[in-house]
Order: sequence, then structure tokens, then C-alpha cells
Amino acid sequence: MRMRSVGGSLVLAAAALALSAHAAAGQGYRGWTSSNVRYVGMRPVTQESVARDLVVEGADGLTYQGHPVFCLSGASCTYFAALDTEHAFTGSQDVGVTAWGLGLQGLSFTALVRARARIGGDFIWPRSDDDFDAMLAYAQLDRGRLRARLGRQENLSGLGFRGYDGASVAMEVLPELSVEGYGGRSLVRGLNEPRQEALKGLVDFFPNRDAWIVGASANVRLDGRTSADLQYQREILDDRSGLLSERASLDVRTGVFEPVMVTASVDYDVAFDRMGKSHVTASYALPGPPVVVQLTGRRYVPYFDLSTIWGFFSPVPYHEVIVRGSWSGTAATAWLSGGARSYGETDTPVILSPLESDAWILEAGGVWPASERLTVEASYDLRWGVGAFLSSGEATVRFRPREDLDIAIQATSLQQFQEFRVGEGRIWGGGGTVGFIVSDRIRLDGGLSIFRHADEGRQIQDPWSQLRGWSALRLEFGSEPGTTGRRFRR
Amino acid sequence: MKTLWVVGAALLLWPAPGQALMAPQDQVLDTFPHALHEGMFPLCTGCHGGVPTGELERFYPDAATCVRCHELRGVEGVTWSGREPGTLVSNLAFAHEVHGAAVSATGDAELVCATCHTAEGGGRMDVDPLSADVCVSCHGHPAQRHTQDAECATCHVPLAESGLPLERIDAMRPPRDHFSGAFAAGAHGAALAGNEFRCSTCHTRQLCTACHVDADRSEIQSFPAAPADMRLPEARSRYPTPESHASEDFEWEHGALSEETSCATCHTRDDCASCHLPPLPAAAGELRRRSEVVAPGVGLSVDVPSSHESPHFLGEHPALAIPDMASCQSCHTSAFCVECHEGPGQPEFHPPNFVAEHAASAWNQTAECSTCHDAQAFCRSCHVQSGFAADGRLGPGYHDAEPLWLLRHAQAARQSLESCASCHSQRNCLQCHSTVGAFQVNPHGRDFDAKRAQEKNPGVCFACHSTNPIGGGGP
Repeated sequence: MRMRSVGGSLVLAAAALALSAHAAAGQGYRGWTSSNVRYVGMRPVTQESVARDLVVEGADGLTYQGHPVFCLSGASCTYFAALDTEHAFTGSQDVGVTAWGLGLQGLSFTALVRARARIGGDFIWPRSDDDFDAMLAYAQLDRGRLRARLGRQENLSGLGFRGYDGASVAMEVLPELSVEGYGGRSLVRGLNEPRQEALKGLVDFFPNRDAWIVGASANVRLDGRTSADLQYQREILDDRSGLLSERASLDVRTGVFEPVMVTASVDYDVAFDRMGKSHVTASYALPGPPVVVQLTGRRYVPYFDLSTIWGFFSPVPYHEVIVRGSWSGTAATAWLSGGARSYGETDTPVILSPLESDAWILEAGGVWPASERLTVEASYDLRWGVGAFLSSGEATVRFRPREDLDIAIQATSLQQFQEFRVGEGRIWGGGGTVGFIVSDRIRLDGGLSIFRHADEGRQIQDPWSQLRGWSALRLEFGSEPGTTGRRFRR
Repeated sequence: MKTLWVVGAALLLWPAPGQALMAPQDQVLDTFPHALHEGMFPLCTGCHGGVPTGELERFYPDAATCVRCHELRGVEGVTWSGREPGTLVSNLAFAHEVHGAAVSATGDAELVCATCHTAEGGGRMDVDPLSADVCVSCHGHPAQRHTQDAECATCHVPLAESGLPLERIDAMRPPRDHFSGAFAAGAHGAALAGNEFRCSTCHTRQLCTACHVDADRSEIQSFPAAPADMRLPEARSRYPTPESHASEDFEWEHGALSEETSCATCHTRDDCASCHLPPLPAAAGELRRRSEVVAPGVGLSVDVPSSHESPHFLGEHPALAIPDMASCQSCHTSAFCVECHEGPGQPEFHPPNFVAEHAASAWNQTAECSTCHDAQAFCRSCHVQSGFAADGRLGPGYHDAEPLWLLRHAQAARQSLESCASCHSQRNCLQCHSTVGAFQVNPHGRDFDAKRAQEKNPGVCFACHSTNPIGGGGP
């Protein structure tokens, strides 16, 4: 039961509060709520079959009513066709709150919960049927160089975001060195729910068990110019029958090569005994003109835990070089970046000829503040990838007639080929957003856009118009002490 | 009172009156050779006719009077060119006509001039520079230190009313008690209380408002202000850090310690807003806005790191944040990160048309979707809904640009396994890639360490293998 796990987290978090029951009345709290409503029209596709004698063979290959058709045996053929438009109309309600002054110096409680609801429509938007999530729910004791947390919390490191129900203790051993240890029940990445709740029924060969996570990190800061974070993390099934993951990462940022700033990272999959993703970026701000040049070398290979077969299929990394340049003058800001990528040797059989293994990326954009209240933004994105292609441009005119009102009109156009699929997708669209600051505690945003989908070539669907809309009402409440946690180094 | 400690800092930089207030004026008076003219003038008022009546323009003779007499006697060397009335400006609460009238009652007006303006034991024309000691010799002075203990108002008018030129204000020297650190750090406020005239003798309100952001407080508003056209020494604002701020716990405790009178001296509401998000704490609401004050104040500001202004910041921020979370935590809590990284809280996190174009980013693994999304639980659930998920049928299926896709997909799969997992279930693959599948194709790469994998998690081997593949363990 989902509610049971959330309740467990809250009980864990409340345990620390109980220690100070003599002064249970909070002296302060601060929080926000965000009420979101979204609508999107979707047009699912389905795979249909058609008799071979109805299929036409032409310059575009085999087609049926313009749809590309695949015929395996000659007796029956299949093709993808679009269904009628379906509608997804969902709502979500977020509440985040931090309370302090709980009778013990440095003790606070933080929670971030989300409720979801399907308001209407027959298309089930991802997770819209997941009624309630507690993303954060922990008590924190922050005393001098020590910080302890108990409850549902999240760890951010070079290994990504990982949530867990448990405890963490961090300590600033020296001004230059902080260490942290944590452990508890592991939550599924990105879902923040225990494995049994989140994955059962979704994943084949699911071990039907929860998992424990333990980890430690050390953060070093040297002479104000260099910092490094070393992380080790291990997940194990709760019956100790096997590991789910065992990984380590090192992230470094240094200014010792001033004026060049360097960031670098690398992670290592101990369980599979192979390198994970890594990158090194050198940034150089030219003296005088507001120009920044960046050079990035990147290696990426996806990470899979040991509970699925995917990691055993030996994914290969790609290596990428990206050069970026940006200019930020008083009259305008502009940027341009380009990159080339090459995939590693896959060691797979070559039939006829090898597939593509190179890719290119190009991005460009600019912001022009035409006046104090009018800004024009434009960007272009080209991804010439392996088996897929995207060329996308966007332009936005942002108008702020008053300090409390922000209006934006957007236009977009994109063209894409999807994964090794024949057919060119073209989309034109436009829309607008409005942001209105009702008061210093209330903000209302909304947007409406329409996209015209017009496949060309061997198409799946006839041209159709997609409507999307959203609104968000954000309300802040409480007072003091704001967002700072500056005394705590990590 | 520690609230006025700030003013002291400026006092250190602004020369204040010293021991000889009349020194510049005296130097001018001393230039006339009175002794050489002895016997020529029976009365002092022959040249200084305006003194008894207070007429400044007749305090001194004009140059023509001197020249006329010198020419008559054939004497050269008259350099006197007259005296500007402005040079007679003084901050003394003294008027010759008043003083003269009082002394005239004694019947010996000539004696009155010589009493103050001649050296002791000298003749009437043996004029000496005038000093405060002369006044004190008759009137008495109970203070031990002229600039510290005296009742200033007895002899002086406030500086703001004196009209003293800048040069003479600059020549003033600060009293000894102004040099102490305690005076600068707040003692000057206590010194002011009940003794406002001592401060205003040498200072104007403009000095207070140069540092105090709460210049509208009553003590300052009641302090005499110099006229707009009066030239004053430049007052530089300085805000030495109070001892309380150096405490290790100050950041935690400053809210409880805050009171308007102590914070408002140096801080505006904008300083609070540099750390606190609106709505600001109640104590901040009592402070002035920066736009409302004259003094600059401490001037804390929201110091947005330059990295945040880069157009690439969204993509770069993980690399910046992870090795130095402390920097991020100076302003952001973990809840701030989670607002975006946990999905739909902020609709603008992905651009409005992201669903339409996300395929290329995902397939090319540029976006690193798995940072926030689980491919099986998130991506595939939507792909199933929208008809893009594989149903397990063998053939090119969706990837119809490659007629021999089934035979050629291995390379693409190893290059983009993340995307495969977003549409395909594991069972799809095991139709061929398992020991009980149709073709029993080994999916493991050349460097695959089967023994190590089995040691780590023996259970997963049996997803594909019906028996223990290497004998290293079992279900």
C-alpha cells in the first residue's frame, strides 16, 4: 500500500519531533502550495493489419492508404495508424512546508507532498493515477558542524538523485572537509516510492522485494578554488540475496587554472566493473568582452541496476566533444554550440553494412531586450543523431507591461525523423503564456498552445491539431527564516 | 546606546575642532604691525569703528584709509588691501557690541579692548593673537579638557549656524575621546544623549545621515543641519562590523537579537531580502527601504553567481552543484531541487512542446532522462498508452526504415539501450536472447564478466538461463 509507506516515512520523521514534545508548538513555518491543472490532446497510434493484396508498392515502398506497411510473410501486413484524438486532463497539488522552532535549537521539519488526480479524458497521463506522493518528509537537526536527518529524503550526487526512507548524518570535520553517511529503505529513482509499490506489475522478473541503500560521501574544499565530491553508494535487496547496484563517483570543480574554470566528473559501476559516464569542461571568460568559451569532453553510458537484464546487454558508451560560446552584452545575449559524437565499438554482427555510429549537435540562440518591457528570444536546435534527426526552432516575444504581469507569445517549428523509422514529422505551433503576480505571496501562471502535426512521406497519421493548456497557482505562506542554510557546508 | 556607533567611524575621517578654534583667524589678525603705529591712533575705534556696533564691514579700515595717510607722510609699503567680511565668520557665541555694552558700564571702553587683545603687561598697541585663554581668564572654565568637558554652548554656536568656511572646519582637530574604538563602535551615541550641543558645535546633521540609514530618528532630526550652500568636509560612510556579528551563532540568532534600533542604523529592508525570501520576517518590515534613505547602508545584495547568468546554466548546473553543494545550499534547500527534479510541479520545466520533440533527446541520450525518470515505470507506461510500446511481435515493427531491422538492431541497441527499455519489455528481448528463446542469441558483450555479475546478483541470471550458467550460485 502506497499510503502505508508514506505513513511510515512520516512516522520516522515525526520520531525526532517527539523527542522535543515538551515544546511541540512550532515557532515558525514556511511553505508553498502549487495547484496545477493540465490538458493535452494526444493521438495514440496502433498497429493494424491489412491484407497483402490491399497494399500498394510504389516509390515509397509498400504502403496502405499512405501508411508505410511491413509485410512479413506476404499473407498479412502490418502498419501503424493514428487513432482518434484522446484527452488527458490532469491536476496536481504540491505542498511544501518547513517548520522550525520545535523546542530544540536547529531542529526543523520539512515535507514536500504531491497529490494527483485525473480530472477527465480517456488518456491516462503518466502517474496521474498515482494519488499521493511524499517526496520529502524529514526531520532535521542542524547543530554547528553536525546535521542529521531522519525520514524521507533525497541525496544528490554524481550518481544522480536517490531517495530513501532513513537517516543521514553529515559533519563538517574541518572547514575544508565534510563527510556524510546515509542509509535506509531505497526508493525507486524518480518515483520516490519503495520498489514493491512502484515497480510491481510494471517490470518483468521483478524480485518483489524492497531494497536497502547505504552510502557515504566526502566533500573537500581547497583554498576556495577547488572542491571535490567523492561518493560511494550501494543498494541491496532486503533479503540480502543480491545487489541491485554498487557505484562510486568523483566530481571536481577547480579554478587553479584561472582564468580557466574546470569541472570534471566520473562514475564507476563497481557491480559491473565498468566505467560509467564522465565529463570534463573547461570554461574561459575572455578578459574584457563578455564572452565565455567552453569546451566539454563527455562520455556517456546508461546505468542499469542488477534487477533487470538491460545492464547485461553490454551497453556501449559514446564520446562527445562540445564547444560552446556565449556573448552577453548589454544590448543582447547570444550563444552558439556545436558538438560531435562517436559511439564505441558494439562488437555486434554486421549485416549488409554497419549502422550509423556518429552524431552531431548544433544549438544557437539569443535574447534581445528590445526595450525595458519587451524581450525577444530565439533558439535553434539541431540533433543529427544515430537513426534519428531533429531540427527545431523557437521564437518567443516576452512583454511585461507591468511589474506584476508577464506575457509571452511563442512560435515553434520542428522537423524530425524518429528512431530508424521512415517518415518525416513536421510540427508547427504557437501559443502564449501569462504570468500574473497577484500579491507578494500569490502567483498565477497559465499557458495555451496549439501544434499542427503534419507528417510527410510515409506517414502514420493525417494532419491534426494538438491542443495543450496548463495553469499553475502558487501560494506562499508562513514567514521566516527563508531559504538559507549557509552555515552548513554539506 | 550602541545605535550610534557608526557615526564615530566617519568622525575619524572628518577633522573635528581642536584646542585652538580661533587659530586661523588669529594668524590673520597678527599681521598688522600695531606696535609701529603706537601713538598715531588714540582710540582703537579709529580703525575698528564697527566693533562697538557690530558692523562687520567697519571692523577693519579699508585700504584707501591707510594709503591716504601713508602718502601724506611719504611712507611706502602699504600692503593692506582691506578685509573681506567673510573672514570674520566665527563659531563663537560672542558679539562685541553686546560684550562692549556690558563692559561700558565700567566707564573705560579703551581698557576693554586692551584687556582682551593685548599681551599681559603690554601697552595698548601691543596686540597679541587672541586665544580662548583670554576669555577664560575672566569668565572661568570649569572643564579640564576644552573639547571634552566644557559646556560648549557657553561660547560657541552650532557649526551648522556658524557659516564657517570649509578650510576652517578642516583645520579642526578631533578630541581625544573620538580616537577610541569604543567611540566609533557606539559610544558616540551615548555621548550624544543629553549633550547634543557638544556634538553640534563641530558637526552637522549631514555627518549623521552619511552613515545612518535611519536618519529620520528623532535624535538625528533634532540635530542642526547645515544650509544647503554650506561647504562641508566629505563624509565617507563606513560600517565597521559589530562584535555581535562575529559570533559563530549570529546567523542563527540574529532574528531573535534583532530590534529596530540596532539593525536600522546600518541595514535596510533590502539587506534582509538578500537572504530571506518574501514575505520577509516581521523585524524586516520595520526597517526602511533602500530607496528611502540617504546613507548607503551596509548594502547587502542578492549575489547571484555569474554562472547562473549563462545561457547554458540549466545544462551545466549539475556539474557545478555536485562537487560543491555547499555553495548551492547557501541559497537553496533540497526542496528547491526537488520541485523540478520530481516531475510536474513546475509545468515550465520542460518546454511546452517537449512531448513532441523529446524522442530525439531521449534517443540520443543527451537529456540523461534517467536522472529523473525510470524508463520502465515512467517512459514505458506512457508509450504503452500512446501505442508506441512494443507488443513483442518480431519484425521491424516501428523501425521500418530498416527492413532487416531484426537482424541489424544489435548495434543500435547497444548504443541506445535506455531508449529500448522505454518501449520494450524485457520479455520482448528474451524471445531471442535467452536459453529458452527462439534463437538463443547471447546478448553479453565481449568484456562481460559473468562470474562477477553472478556473485553480485545470482537471481537475475535466471531471467534468461533455465539452469545455473556457470555454477556460481542458484535461485
